[in-house]
Amino acid sequence: MNWLQRLFSRKRLERELEKELRFHFEAQVSDKVRSGVSDEEARRLTRLEFGGFDQIKEDCRESRGTMWVESIVQDIRYGIRQLRKSPGFSITAVVTLALGIGATTAIFTLVHGVLERSLPVADPSSLYRIGDKSTCCYYSSLESDDGDFDLFPYDLYLDLKRSSPEFEELAAVEAGGGSQPVRWGSSPSMPLRSEYVSGNYFAMLGVGTYAGRPLTQNDDRNGASPVVVLSYAAWQSYFAGDASVVGSTVYVQTHPFTVVGIAPPSFYGDRIVERPPDFWIPVSNEPIINGQGSDLWPKGEEDSAWFYLLGRVRPQTNITALQAKLSAMLRQWMSTQVQFTAHGGAALIPRQHVVLTPGGGGIQKLQAQTGKGLRLLMILSSIVLLIACANFANLLLARGTSRRSELAVRMALGAARIRIMRQILTQSVILSVMGGAAGVAIAYALSRMILLLAFPHARNMPVNASPSLVVLGFAFVVSLLTGVIFGTIPAWYSSQAEAAEAFRTAARSTGDRTSMPQKALVVIQVGLSIVLISGAFLMGRSLANLENQNFGIATANRYVLRIDPKGAGYSIQRLSALYQRIEERFSALPSAKNVSFARYTPLDGNAWGTCIVQQGHAAPGPQDKCFSSWVRVSRHFLQTVGVPIVRGRDFSAMDTQDSTPVVLVNQAFARQFFPNQDPVGKHFGLMSPRNSGAFEIAGVFADFKMNDPHGNVEPLFLRPLTQQYLGYTEPEAISGEQNSMFLNSIILQFSTSQSDVEDLVRRALAEVDPNLTIFYFSSYDAQVAGNFNQDRLIARLTSLFGVLALALASVGLYGVISFFVTRRTTEIGIRMAMGSSRSAIVSLVMRGALGPILIGIALGIPAALFLGHLSASLLYGITGTSPLACIVATAALAASALIAGFVPARRAASLDPMDALREQ
Amino acid sequence: MQKSDSKFDLPQGTLDLLIMRVVALGPIHGYAIAQRIQQMSREALQVQQGSLYPALHRLEYKKFLVARWQPTETGREAKFYELTAKGRVYLKDETQNWKRLTDVVGLILKGTVEGI
Repeated sequence: MNWLQRLFSRKRLERELEKELRFHFEAQVSDKVRSGVSDEEARRLTRLEFGGFDQIKEDCRESRGTMWVESIVQDIRYGIRQLRKSPGFSITAVVTLALGIGATTAIFTLVHGVLERSLPVADPSSLYRIGDKSTCCYYSSLESDDGDFDLFPYDLYLDLKRSSPEFEELAAVEAGGGSQPVRWGSSPSMPLRSEYVSGNYFAMLGVGTYAGRPLTQNDDRNGASPVVVLSYAAWQSYFAGDASVVGSTVYVQTHPFTVVGIAPPSFYGDRIVERPPDFWIPVSNEPIINGQGSDLWPKGEEDSAWFYLLGRVRPQTNITALQAKLSAMLRQWMSTQVQFTAHGGAALIPRQHVVLTPGGGGIQKLQAQTGKGLRLLMILSSIVLLIACANFANLLLARGTSRRSELAVRMALGAARIRIMRQILTQSVILSVMGGAAGVAIAYALSRMILLLAFPHARNMPVNASPSLVVLGFAFVVSLLTGVIFGTIPAWYSSQAEAAEAFRTAARSTGDRTSMPQKALVVIQVGLSIVLISGAFLMGRSLANLENQNFGIATANRYVLRIDPKGAGYSIQRLSALYQRIEERFSALPSAKNVSFARYTPLDGNAWGTCIVQQGHAAPGPQDKCFSSWVRVSRHFLQTVGVPIVRGRDFSAMDTQDSTPVVLVNQAFARQFFPNQDPVGKHFGLMSPRNSGAFEIAGVFADFKMNDPHGNVEPLFLRPLTQQYLGYTEPEAISGEQNSMFLNSIILQFSTSQSDVEDLVRRALAEVDPNLTIFYFSSYDAQVAGNFNQDRLIARLTSLFGVLALALASVGLYGVISFFVTRRTTEIGIRMAMGSSRSAIVSLVMRGALGPILIGIALGIPAALFLGHLSASLLYGITGTSPLACIVATAALAASALIAGFVPARRAASLDPMDALREQ
Repeated sequence: MQKSDSKFDLPQGTLDLLIMRVVALGPIHGYAIAQRIQQMSREALQVQQGSLYPALHRLEYKKFLVARWQPTETGREAKFYELTAKGRVYLKDETQNWKRLTDVVGLILKGTVEGI
């Protein structure tokens, strides 16, 4: 038997020990009786000889070698018994810790699942990415002011791949990724997410397939038959897990592709996104889908960069040297590209470079977006945990003090101090582990909620709310440490009981040393609460500022939907008829007011940008500000989104293909490009001075937020649906112009609020053309609100943490003051008997709590200002060091402290002096 | 506790050796072991229950002894101890050690009682 078995057969061993000693005893008695002693005398003598029965047993147990485990088991049983006797205390302690541990673990689940995640591929540590940003999604100019590149065109990728043997494999992956209508068999077209990848993508990652084969280099060459690999999740949800899909043909935007394989279930691609790719297409197939609009190879002078590069580096590669080499190659390539050398751009080439970053976690796009917020939440939730711990320690201290006389008796009877300390510690560990277990449940619910709120459009997102082993380990360690660290001080204080003193002063204290640590804990709680409440205030104000700002557009009773006429097979020639039919059909919907088309809608997160050239100006240099967003819209667009014309005119029925090409510009555009001039009647063009007379400004419209609701309004111009500019000679400009004719967004305005409008709209569209799929449908209010998902989430969590902190601190304060009252009942009785007034008693009690609260506030305010300073970049319309936040936090805390203190103070004041004195 | 004039303290570890020597004669329970040691030492040694049982349990834990419950001649069940193979080797080694030790100590102490 090893000690573990012995431990579990403890009952049997105990029984046998008793039996064995009993046998000895009886044998000795019968021997004595046989030698002539009376039975009674024999028993008495034998008992004397034996000495302490229990002492012998204890020595035997000890020699079994399981004593230490057994006594811990005993302590645990004793602890549980003790805790059951005071359920109020135990539940409060467990709930307090569960809240703290739950909050921290929930955030840690996300930090672990998002920020510290490795791709599910072979040996992620040898993956490196060329680039350290997440620039999106197409670029054909300098990518950043400091010369950092992370998007690459296809031909440069091939160059780098050919001349970098340091990479075992270097793969190119699409930076953006889009939705494609896909049909299989007789199924209706399904909007699936796609990602273009180089042929060596799966080989580079070391990922195989669940069924079929992965993409190979052979699939990625000119003239190879078009193939795709499906993700496992897409195969399950769109193809019903049908094995016959492998080897069959699917139609992507009407083009036939063979499905050659299904990726493994755990594989979600090269980055964490809300909606991971449903299928991967070899890069060389891109021209099949995009036809004339293909961006794979350079068109004229323009070479589009739209790939991230991810590769597996050979062992013992010098990363610094490789980075320098790749940067040199980038500069070498740029110096041969007119798009970078023209108009003084050559001077900027020397500082262009790339940064190699570890790629084991994949493309860190989501991580870059959420990292700051998550880290802030990690700090805030840890503060909640600290407050909870302080409360926990406080509860234990109070309990320890109220058990002082009991402990003193036990020690007087010979209990070892160390054993008593251990028992108290065991109890706190039991409580903290229970709190941890409850905390894990809270954490699961909380992280689920966070994920739902943060990523409402997620589909197969590879971030899970269920705690992983690491997270469970984290929660366990945190709760164990809490129990040990915050249980030690109370254990030590309680075991200091001197029997005589403990008996004498049971309820007659006028102040004692145990209240010192309690006061220190109140200081900590108050200070940390100030930090959390002011943080909650800042985030809440910032969110309110964001949501209630004037976006410049009207959204009430408006709905946005997106379709893909190009994917459904429409040519430019057939478009205007289609738009007319849709407009007529939708206008016939009950209480429909306006129907408009737009390439992109305000605040949907998209717009095209371009460099504009004013008529009569030289070509702008690479550092001149020439950038403006632009959108092609239908005639009533501005009317539909409620944007007024401030100068000139709106689009009209007279703007046709044959009339003067006109544009409308916003006020920011007018300010930037035509300061102190009347922009109406002026001309400008795009990209090159050759085209600078292309468009005439017909009017100026009021500013509204098109892209980023956090930023200022940027220059924007609108072009009418009816006018395709035919004056371009550059192939890239021609294909860009052609693409811009496809308006994928429709805005519907109703005169009254609607219900079930989505069904209505779907049916109406199906009447126009059953092949048109609605990719997206949303009320305009929801679309705008969607811009603030993260801000809202952070604000809500911060206020949740703030409220928790305040509640915990109040409970802590209440506990300390009540305790103070109980301990000084006799003193209060004497004071009252001597004629002290009730209000004097209240103020005596409150005064005791005032000191630590003031110190806590004094320490909390600078800490709050510091945290506000750190989180400044997450705030909108309020500075991180706003004094208002500190004032609000102090006021909230003072109010709750007042309530927490007043209840026990009143109880003290309403004591009957006689009762109070008689109590001891 | 019965005090005997001739009682003396056993050196550390000696009790284990005596117990094993007695057990080596055949399966035997705790009470009989105490009796036998008393007999064999001509009443000079009285093993206290407080030392005997912890020692037995320690030896059992170290796997020098195994125990079995068996009825005695009076019909009551008692815990009978037996030497294991490991215990037998240990006993042999320790007995030799003991003999060597007492020889050496005896050699040095020879004649001292008269000489002091």
